[in-house]
Amino acid sequence: MIEASPKDLDAPYWAALEQGRLNLPTCKNCGVWHWPPVSRCAECDSWGLDWHDIPLEGEIFSWTRTWHPFGGTEGLEKPFVTVVVAIPAAGNRRLMGLLEGVADTAPVPIGAAVKGRVSHTRYGETEIPTILWHLAARDGDAQ
Amino acid sequence: MNKALFGKTAVAGVGVQQFKRGTAPYSERECLVRAIIQACEDAGLDPADVDGFVSYGDDKNEPVRLMSDLGTKELNWTQTVFGGGGGGIAAAFGSAAGAILTGQAKAVIVFRALVQDASGRLSAAVMAHHLNPHMAAAGLVAPAQVCALRAQRLFGYHGVPAETAEAFLQACYYHGSRNPAAVAYGSEFDHDAYMASRMIAEPFHLFDCSRENDGAGALLLVSAEHARDLRRPPVHLLGVTQGAEKGWGDLLENDDADLYASGGFGSVARRLWEQTDLTPTDIDVAQIYENFSAQGVTSLIDHGFCTYESASEFIRFENLIAPSGQLPVNTHGGNTAQGFIHGIGIALEAVQCLRGESANPVPDAKTCLLAGGPGAPIVSSAIFGTAAMV
Repeated sequence: MIEASPKDLDAPYWAALEQGRLNLPTCKNCGVWHWPPVSRCAECDSWGLDWHDIPLEGEIFSWTRTWHPFGGTEGLEKPFVTVVVAIPAAGNRRLMGLLEGVADTAPVPIGAAVKGRVSHTRYGETEIPTILWHLAARDGDAQ
Repeated sequence: MNKALFGKTAVAGVGVQQFKRGTAPYSERECLVRAIIQACEDAGLDPADVDGFVSYGDDKNEPVRLMSDLGTKELNWTQTVFGGGGGGIAAAFGSAAGAILTGQAKAVIVFRALVQDASGRLSAAVMAHHLNPHMAAAGLVAPAQVCALRAQRLFGYHGVPAETAEAFLQACYYHGSRNPAAVAYGSEFDHDAYMASRMIAEPFHLFDCSRENDGAGALLLVSAEHARDLRRPPVHLLGVTQGAEKGWGDLLENDDADLYASGGFGSVARRLWEQTDLTPTDIDVAQIYENFSAQGVTSLIDHGFCTYESASEFIRFENLIAPSGQLPVNTHGGNTAQGFIHGIGIALEAVQCLRGESANPVPDAKTCLLAGGPGAPIVSSAIFGTAAMV
């Protein structure tokens, strides 16, 4: 269920994230962004992916703030904010992550620019690499 | 119209055993056997003559193990619908009808059984289907959180007022409070209590979430011809569709932007109307699987009863209650206020409301929409009708 295999299509994503970098794939042939990754590109009937370094910058697509202590979230202090972030540099494909630096009562603006850093989430006995996003405007560096 | 399907099979009997979560006095299998016996007695059919079984959502009760208790003479057909959520509920009737109409089985039980000490928590079982490191790393471990992400987009981007979700719940509780078989019997919905109920995952309060029950439900499907010889008024299956369209599915939250906040019924609903030659205005009552309040709202939008823009006009309390609302929904109380055995109660009420047995009757109702599993990667819908429709 949760264990990764080196044969998994997303193994390069995890390998890069462990090194603090975001890698996302395009079709080797037609260049369309695929996330989640595919073995076969149905757009151009070809096989194989190219992986690219992507800056940790995106826009909030949606969010939820979790208050209930669901089993499996013991490693996260409640409440925590989960965000779905669209990555413009990767064809607006979306990643799940956590939002840091917002007050517990503050609404999270959909569409807001965010920047990220790589951290880890403890899940059971494992540490999974994850992206911690923060509102870019907080740094005064939003464009 | 798909003439091969429309009105050719019918539900001839129903049975249910429902208990508070964790309190079933029987094992999961015995709950199921008792529900099946009830359904057969309701129909006036010897349980030994049931020769087919279908379930959904990872039910663990392999029909072959029921044979001794039921006295099954021949087990001729078994199947389960893919998907860990409630999205397979209507699809199970489609499978059963396919088996009956092609002569693979004569009398098929559609069932779902869930007793916590046998199957654990439903939410955990559903999530086991989907959970992956991407989700776990973002703290997403429960269906409530995933549906909450969709709901925030529905409210915060598409501009559907959150009041529609409350109106949907209010209708469920109105019906449940008047249904002696409902968990919410006698308890009126209270806006202040709703808002004060603890936050689970924003925007969902506790009251926005369905809560699990122990129990089992069974519905007996036979050919329309066969049903006419049985005890109860047949409730015909008029049409059924299942699936997902391109851009929807288990996609790490990468569903197409215009589908993301939906219930995932796009192609399923379109094909249901095409298949039956019916339109939303032909539907008299609807049983809508509301795992979470906002997903009830999106189910109504997906099936064309309203749009994002007109949702607040259509999804009003007065409009959703029996007997006089334009579209009474969840006339037994729904998953939230009647009880939740992975949604089988929604299918039971679809049949019982058309037999005139609902605790909240809809006079002269001839058609009922059943919509299953909004937000799940695979969803399904069906329309049932009285004899007047065929």
